[in-house]
Amino acid sequence: MYASEIDMLSPRSLLECLYLLENEKASFRLLAGGTDAVVRMKEGKWQHDYWLNLKNIDELKFITIEKDEIHIGPLTTHSEIISSPLLQDHADVLVQACREVGAAQMQNMGTIGGNIGTASPAGDTIPALFALGAIIELTSITGKRQVSAEDFFVGPGKTVAFPNEIITKISFKVRGKHDIGLFQKLGPRKAQSISIVNVAISLSMKEGTKECLGGRIAFGSVGPTVLRAKKCEAMLTLGELSPDMISNISSVAWKEVMPISDIRASASYRRDMASALLERGLYRLIKRWADNERKPF
Amino acid sequence: MKTIDFFVNGTEVSVTCSPSKTLLDVLREDAGLTGSKECCGKGECGSCTVSMNGLPVCSCLVLAGQVHGENVITVEGIGTPENMDPVQQAFMDEGATQCGYCTPGLIVSARSYLNSIGHLPGLDEIKQALGGNLCRCTGYTKILKAVQTAAQSQLTFRDL
Ligand code: FES
Ligand code: FES
Repeated sequence: MYASEIDMLSPRSLLECLYLLENEKASFRLLAGGTDAVVRMKEGKWQHDYWLNLKNIDELKFITIEKDEIHIGPLTTHSEIISSPLLQDHADVLVQACREVGAAQMQNMGTIGGNIGTASPAGDTIPALFALGAIIELTSITGKRQVSAEDFFVGPGKTVAFPNEIITKISFKVRGKHDIGLFQKLGPRKAQSISIVNVAISLSMKEGTKECLGGRIAFGSVGPTVLRAKKCEAMLTLGELSPDMISNISSVAWKEVMPISDIRASASYRRDMASALLERGLYRLIKRWADNERKPF
Repeated sequence: MKTIDFFVNGTEVSVTCSPSKTLLDVLREDAGLTGSKECCGKGECGSCTVSMNGLPVCSCLVLAGQVHGENVITVEGIGTPENMDPVQQAFMDEGATQCGYCTPGLIVSARSYLNSIGHLPGLDEIKQALGGNLCRCTGYTKILKAVQTAAQSQLTFRDL
C-alpha cells in the first residue's frame, strides 16, 4: 500500500473519536496540523490503516481561564496561542516558545497537542510547559487522567499515553505579576528550524529586589526528552541574581544535560550552548524585571 | 477514494481522490493549478504555500481529507497576467524573480501578510513574515524590496 492511500476518518465529536480508537482490529494515527505526521507518512515510517483527522472536533479548540487556572485545548494552533491576550499576560514563556516554532506556515498549521503528542526532544513548546508546571489531561472512552508534563514523556517520540487515549486539555496555574518567564532557542537559522538547544525559564521574584523565590528551568534538545535542570533551579534561591550569581548557575548547566551528537550539532557544542543560553536568558530576564520594577506597577 | 468539496480561488471544486493525497497534488493534478510548486515536500521551503481560510500554510503537508469545506487561495487566485496584484506587479518591477520556483509561494505569503496588517511594515517584520519561504537564486534583497514597494502602493491606494 502506498502511504498516500491511507484512509481517513473525520470524527465530528470527541466521543465519536474515542469510540473509534477502541477498535482494536484497525491501526490509527491521530492527525492534527500534519506538520510532523504527514512528513512521517511520506518517509514511509508509518503504515497505519486510518488517519483520525481531529480537525473537525471543535470541542478540542479553546483557551479559557477558570479561577486561577488556564486551560488550552490541544487543537489550538501556535498562531492562536501567540495572538491570545490571555496567554500573553499569563504565559509569556509559552507564547515565546510558540513564536519560535518554525515560520508562519508552521505556526498556522501546528497545534500544541500535536507538539506534545509527537514528543520530539526538540519540540519547542515542551520546555515551556515544564517551566509552567503544566498538567496534561488524557481521555479514553473509560475516563480521564491527569499527568504532569514532566511525567508525560518517556523518550524520543514516546509518551505515557495509551493507543486509546487522546490529549484533551493542557492546564497550568495563572501566573502573577511577580512571575516572569522566557524561552530561548538556538537553531541553525532563525526561521523554521529545529532546535539545537532550547531553554525555558520561569521565575517567581520578590517584589522590589533581584531575589528569586523559586523557579523552573527546562532544557530541550539535549537529552532523550526535555529535561528539568534541578541543580540550577536549586541555586536560583541562594541569593540575589547578580551577573556573578547568574554565571555560577549557568556554569552548572552542563551537568544537567545529556546531549547526543547528530547532524545538527555535536554533544560538546550542545553542552556549551546550554550554559550560554541559560546565562543569556537569566540575564535578560533579570534585566527586564529590574526595568519594570523601576516603573510603578 | 473520497469525494472532497472545497473552494479554490472562490470557485467550488469537487475532487475524488485518496484522502491522504496532499492538497498540493490535488491542486496541481486534479484542479489543474500548477502555480504552487513542490520542492522539499516537508514544510521547510514554502514553495508550496497557499492560503487556507486567510492563513498561509504549506500545501505539501495538508491532506485532501482535511480540506473539505475550506477556502483555499493559490497564486492563481491572487492576480492574473492582465490584472496583477500589487505584490505581483512589484515582483516584476523590482526584478525579484530569477528561476521563479519560489515565487508563487512568496507571493501568497506576502499577500497574506499584507492583508493581515494595516501599517507600513519594517524590513524586519517582512523578513519575519517571509521566514518560511526559501529562495536559492535572488539573495532576497529584491524580494524584500518588492514587498516593501507593494506595501507602500497598497497604503497609498487605500488613502485615495
Ligand atoms: S514543498 Fe512544501 S514546504 Fe517545501
Ligand atoms: S527565484 Fe529561484 S528560488 Fe527564488
